[in-house]
Amino acid sequence: MRKFGLFGSVLFAAALAVAGPAAAQGFNWRTQDGQTINLMFNNHPWSQAMRDMVADFTAKTGIKARIEIFNEEQFRARLTTLMQGGSADMDVYMSLTSREGAVFHRAGWYADLAPLMADKSLTMPDFNYEDFAASIRQASTFGKQIVALPINQEGPLFYWRKDIFERCKIAEPAALEDIPAAAAAIKACDANQGVWAARGIRGVTPYAMAGFIYNSGGSFATPDGKPGLSQPGSVRGLEMYSNLLKDYGPPGALNHTFTQVIELLGQGRIAMTHESSNEFANIVRFPNRANDLGVKVLPPGRDTKISKPVAIGWTVAISAHSKRQPAAWLFLQWATSREVQAKLVQAGVAPPRASVFEGEAFNAWAKELPIRRAWANALIEIGRTGTGVYQSPTDRIPEARDIIGGAMQAIVQGRATPAEAARAADADLAKLQ
Amino acid sequence: MLRTQTLPSYSDAVVSQTTEAAGVGGFTTVLAGNDFRWMAAPALLFAGAMIAFPFGYAVWLALSEVQLGSAPRFIGVGNFRRMLSDAEFWNGLYLTLLLYVVSLSFQLVIGTWLGLLLARFQTARGLVRTVMVSPFMLPPVVVGMMAIVILDPSFGIANWLLSKLGLPPALWLSNPDTVMFTIAALDTWQWTPFVALIVMGGYLSLPHDVFESAEMDGAHGWTRFRYVTLPLLGPTLITAAVLRSVDILRFFDIIYLTTQGGPGFSSTTLNILAYRRGFEFFELGYASAIMVTLSAIVFGSVLMFARLRRAAAW
Repeated sequence: MRKFGLFGSVLFAAALAVAGPAAAQGFNWRTQDGQTINLMFNNHPWSQAMRDMVADFTAKTGIKARIEIFNEEQFRARLTTLMQGGSADMDVYMSLTSREGAVFHRAGWYADLAPLMADKSLTMPDFNYEDFAASIRQASTFGKQIVALPINQEGPLFYWRKDIFERCKIAEPAALEDIPAAAAAIKACDANQGVWAARGIRGVTPYAMAGFIYNSGGSFATPDGKPGLSQPGSVRGLEMYSNLLKDYGPPGALNHTFTQVIELLGQGRIAMTHESSNEFANIVRFPNRANDLGVKVLPPGRDTKISKPVAIGWTVAISAHSKRQPAAWLFLQWATSREVQAKLVQAGVAPPRASVFEGEAFNAWAKELPIRRAWANALIEIGRTGTGVYQSPTDRIPEARDIIGGAMQAIVQGRATPAEAARAADADLAKLQ
Repeated sequence: MLRTQTLPSYSDAVVSQTTEAAGVGGFTTVLAGNDFRWMAAPALLFAGAMIAFPFGYAVWLALSEVQLGSAPRFIGVGNFRRMLSDAEFWNGLYLTLLLYVVSLSFQLVIGTWLGLLLARFQTARGLVRTVMVSPFMLPPVVVGMMAIVILDPSFGIANWLLSKLGLPPALWLSNPDTVMFTIAALDTWQWTPFVALIVMGGYLSLPHDVFESAEMDGAHGWTRFRYVTLPLLGPTLITAAVLRSVDILRFFDIIYLTTQGGPGFSSTTLNILAYRRGFEFFELGYASAIMVTLSAIVFGSVLMFARLRRAAAW
């Protein structure tokens, strides 16, 4: 017995010596069992769903996750305060890298995910980073540093009331220029029917307006990298967006953001809008909207043939100040995994992973209603052709978008012609470069 | 008595009374003799930690250029110099003062009228007071959300009511020319009852024989109000004005909720401007400079009312 024991011990030690390095290479979800991580999220369908699903993460990893969700303004204020103070209390936070990525990266607020991804002992074998939409990956990459993982994919889409178009015998807009024509026709057909709504608050407008500028042949930058809002194509797009709001928009449109726009569309008070794909689930909750709405990518310019939609995505990042980065990394992998994203679709969160779009669960869900299929097709298209850039070249992105939205407001308020507003905006944008 | 006359402030009057109550060499001597001053240390420490340090830090940031993720770099009065040539700052200052003057005037005038009415109102006084308290018990978020729903030009009940009265619809918060007056009206709706309650309390504590004498001398109605009630209510009104001044000058939540400073910059008060510069555009140094300036305005208004209070004391 003792002989066998000695032999067994030697054999066990030998086995450990051989298998040890191999075991260290293997990925294990429970390596951080017993840890607690703190997560701070912006109020979003994704974060709401996470709160319901996070128990699955704890069951899988043994890691407890404390979630705090704030409205966007409070979220940004708290995030800035915590990070500027170098607080290690928060481990994971949501970030819109297409907006604040450059500033946060320069401030050193993001942990670099590239080394974690490269470490096979820390990263699940079927993680496949290339599965995420290219435009969102690009917005989260600075040099060789990967700062965040995408959690959704979104962009503005064109929604229109098919029943009103049919009743007024108006064809579905096939070109960008058909939208103002359709608006005029609806107004002539039914004076009591609201026609158009879109974002009017300065800083949030460029997200919805960029498609008009790009498809009109414009751009936010000149070929030599200077602000380009006063280029002819840009002015055309700026003018079309502003005039739609001025001539066919609801009263008080300049104080509107997506919440008011969605309310107006959902209640049936308007016939068309260009609003976020992210609001799809909220829109179709209104009675009849799932049946009478059409949704697609903003039509291309008639002459330019250009269709360049905006495609962005919220991401999750690990705080550079976090002392629990391995546990946080496990959360990021779980939250962005195929399995979790397939479930999130049911909550109206468009998956950033191509494989989820092609998966059975997603296709079964999309088949249930024609508008879901249309929405999914539009998302696939913006994932392929979209851009996350909708301001002139600068890393002071929020300020630049504010100036661009201000140009639109000046036109709607009649304070400037489109050309004057664009020139003034370009002068201000140049100061940010 | 002499001491009370030369320094007729409330705190000194209290000290004087306390000294008299303790007898010659009373309370203050006891404190000094046994050196109990150290007992004030926790309060001083608390005040230092909670007031002086944050304000001092804000001043330091205001004198610095702050890049996210790195330590502030001292630039002297650079942020203040920038402020002087910033059209958004001057616009914000004008809007802040406009809101201050309009809101405070309305709240004091309507609050005084309402307070005097309430003081004479005998029926269901408790119920009326409870109803009056309710607006300022509401969190600003609730008031802001109510305003968004009620004043929405498309589906708000305010325009529906106007249409029922045969009046044209209004843009309320969406018209650059009227937005600040709408915001002032919201603040007035919420806080006038607060002023009214202060006025009512002040009025009920006034000596009645003065009013009886005035009546006997033939002072009625407006004359009695102008020459008797209003001067006697002076210190009460100034107290209400001080409390409301501080609040109105730092008014933020409802504006941010309802307009975010728009349309255009037509409701971008200094608070909104500082918030946007600090937390949206990450210019923490410049935002601090704006807030330090606004704090100076608040202190200035409080000092002004403190002097007025001394002048109005009776």
